[in-house]
Amino acid sequence: MVETLAQLKTGDQAKLLDFTKNPSLHFKLLSLGVLPGDLIKVLSCAPFGGPIVVKHGERTTFAIRKAEAKDVSIELQTPEAR
Amino acid sequence: MNEVLESLSESIGESHLVQLPLIGLPNAGKSTIFNLLTGGFRKVSNYSGITVEAARGELLTNNQENVTQYELIDLPGIYNLTPTSYDEGVTVSTLLELGPKYSFEKAIILLDWHRITPSLGMALGVLKRIGKKAIIIINKDDDQEVTLEDRSRLQRALGVPVLTISALNTDLKTLDHFIRLEHPVVEENSIAPLPITPLSASYLPSSLNGHKSLNIIPGSRGEEAVANEIDSNLKEARRILGGLQTSNHQRSILSDKIDKIVLHPLLGGIIFFAIFYLIFNAIYSWAGPIMELTEQVVLMTGQWVGDFLPNGLFKSLIVDALFGGVGGVLIFLPQIMILFFLLSLLEQSGYISRAALISDKVMSYFGLGGKAFLPYMSGYACAIPGIMAARTIPNQKERLATIMTLPLITCSARLPVYILIIGTFVPSYTVFKVFNTQALSFFFLYFLGSFAALIIAKILRLSAFKGDSSSFLIDLPQYEMPSFKAAFRQSWQKGRSFLRKAGTIILALSVLIWLLSTFPRLSEEKVQGHTPQETAALQLEHSILGRMGHTIEPVIRPLGMNWKIGVGLLVSFGARELFVSAMGTLYALGEVDEESEGLRAKLMAEIDPITKKPVFDLATAWSILFFFVFSLQCTSTLAILKKETGGWRIPIITFTYMLILAYSSSFLIYHALS
Ligand SMILES: Nc1nc2c(ncn2[C@@H]2O[C@H](COP(=O)(O)OP(=O)(O)OP(=O)(O)O)[C@@H](O)[C@H]2O)c(=O)[nH]1
Ligand SMILES: [Mg+2]
Repeated sequence: MVETLAQLKTGDQAKLLDFTKNPSLHFKLLSLGVLPGDLIKVLSCAPFGGPIVVKHGERTTFAIRKAEAKDVSIELQTPEAR
Repeated sequence: MNEVLESLSESIGESHLVQLPLIGLPNAGKSTIFNLLTGGFRKVSNYSGITVEAARGELLTNNQENVTQYELIDLPGIYNLTPTSYDEGVTVSTLLELGPKYSFEKAIILLDWHRITPSLGMALGVLKRIGKKAIIIINKDDDQEVTLEDRSRLQRALGVPVLTISALNTDLKTLDHFIRLEHPVVEENSIAPLPITPLSASYLPSSLNGHKSLNIIPGSRGEEAVANEIDSNLKEARRILGGLQTSNHQRSILSDKIDKIVLHPLLGGIIFFAIFYLIFNAIYSWAGPIMELTEQVVLMTGQWVGDFLPNGLFKSLIVDALFGGVGGVLIFLPQIMILFFLLSLLEQSGYISRAALISDKVMSYFGLGGKAFLPYMSGYACAIPGIMAARTIPNQKERLATIMTLPLITCSARLPVYILIIGTFVPSYTVFKVFNTQALSFFFLYFLGSFAALIIAKILRLSAFKGDSSSFLIDLPQYEMPSFKAAFRQSWQKGRSFLRKAGTIILALSVLIWLLSTFPRLSEEKVQGHTPQETAALQLEHSILGRMGHTIEPVIRPLGMNWKIGVGLLVSFGARELFVSAMGTLYALGEVDEESEGLRAKLMAEIDPITKKPVFDLATAWSILFFFVFSLQCTSTLAILKKETGGWRIPIITFTYMLILAYSSSFLIYHALS
């Protein structure tokens, strides 16, 4: 069962459900213009064991550490791809 | 702890000018616009969080008649009024300090069209606090996607004037006219204080703690209040924008394609190393011929001038101090300019935030994170901007560990020493068909400094600065085609300041070194019966610097160095380049036939009077190099360390540990090689 952002693979699309667990992460994501309910796409999954690269909307790309991505719950949009 | 913050916030003095702060998201183009309007030279780079301190500049158009005298304030970028690091704290405190209730007459809020939704969210939050005293500029609308209708709709919704531009091809007139436009200001009386958490307040100077515009709420209630504030602004922004941003974004698609390659686990790693190897190779190998040409010009001019002057002290001053000392440093101008040119291209491209993310994992093994990448990278140019850039690291302990290890990164002032010593003493041949041994040695020294920095950072993070790491959430800006013009401007500016340094500090100290190594003169009878060559050598040893050198010789003997090198090391604590100029002067003085050859040839030819063997062998050369890799020989770095940490403790500790490291590693490498 895929439940958090940390479990996504490159190319996966998902709907963000909740990321209020970690307050500083919550602020940061809101600051980048991200709200629960938004769709995201994983551009690159932990290259070099590092952060996950996420595309949000048409023009925002950001990177988030795997440890923090665990605090973002999601709903996978493309289950057929797995 | 508090004095740290006091020293971080830039104090705002009284001014007769009308203050015009520039507020916007990081990377929105604030500094670009600041430079455009004031003719300033603020650093511009495609990375979020380049500007970390406030700067002021008068508008270029202030010199027209009967116009308001505006002073533009370039500020670090913010995502909202709740700071999450020291650089954001600078912006918020500057706004608060401009007066009670943000009493500046006008502010420019700069929105980034590429990230219009979060930009507008931030703007709404700011507008709520400053009461419509703002004008809004939407930047980066390169393809003119915002229609007139869109613009007037925004203007109506926000109640403030809106202009859309692309700073890359706007004309100054439009921008200036818009800024000077008078518009009715609605004074809002009841502005609710801004809710912030105690953590955010810790990034502000404590003098602001009781500020009536701030409401510090502890615990989860505070977190909730802040989240609600940002959340409601963002939702409001989305409502206002509707479906404004269209789907014409070829550049964004291209950017994603580039990322597919650059962030590829295998290709990305190769690209990462290739880029940095290329830069080092460029400053070592490509710049070589240009440097030799410059050296020839300096030598020939020196000789030419020398031929006109009568023999004597004045000639010695000109030839030995000016051409030998300052000239010896000047020949490294090409390297400095090439380094800054290439770094500027790289920074403009948008690659740096990718490099930060690629390095995040490795950095985290050493108790740091990707946020430390940019400060470290800036350190290759100069430790001072690197240390300041560390303000963007939210975690105080991580920030201190970064700051204290940054002087280990090989800065451009070490370049002349490395090139002089490697170029003279490391034999040049090709290994594995492509790599040149000298270039490899050069690369190795850079690696050694960086690796040591990481190891020490780890030690610090395990001991004095033990604790959690900051989170790593970084936005990746779209790739942009770097502008050669901007890169050239940057490189020329750095080249100029290098020339200025050579013409002032290095010149003054070279003359001082010359004086100290020329006087007192030997009496006539002492030099009788000696050849001119011997006289010159005796005179040098008799001088103040000569005696000082002999006094410290026992300390540096174990490192395989003679007294001249010792003097070079001693003076290099003022500035590293002085090593080269001191050697230039000392070796020119010891010679009779003025300037027949460059410093490199002279160094190679020197024979130890006792052992009759060359003074410089490979072991001595590496011993000097190791000393320079590790020691903190820069007074400006000590000063900035004090400023950024609010006391002498950190600079003293940093200086001491680096000196111990330098001495012991020089000792070890000398004995290993000899
Ligand atoms: N495409 C495009 N790029 C722009 C425009 N204006 C500025 N830039 C680029 O945007 C990047 C950021 O510009 P800066 O002026 O450094 O931004 P800043 O707001 O000062 O950023 P911080 O100091 O990090 O807060 C640079 O690479 C600029 O060349 C524009 O109108 N269009
Ligand atoms: Mg800036």
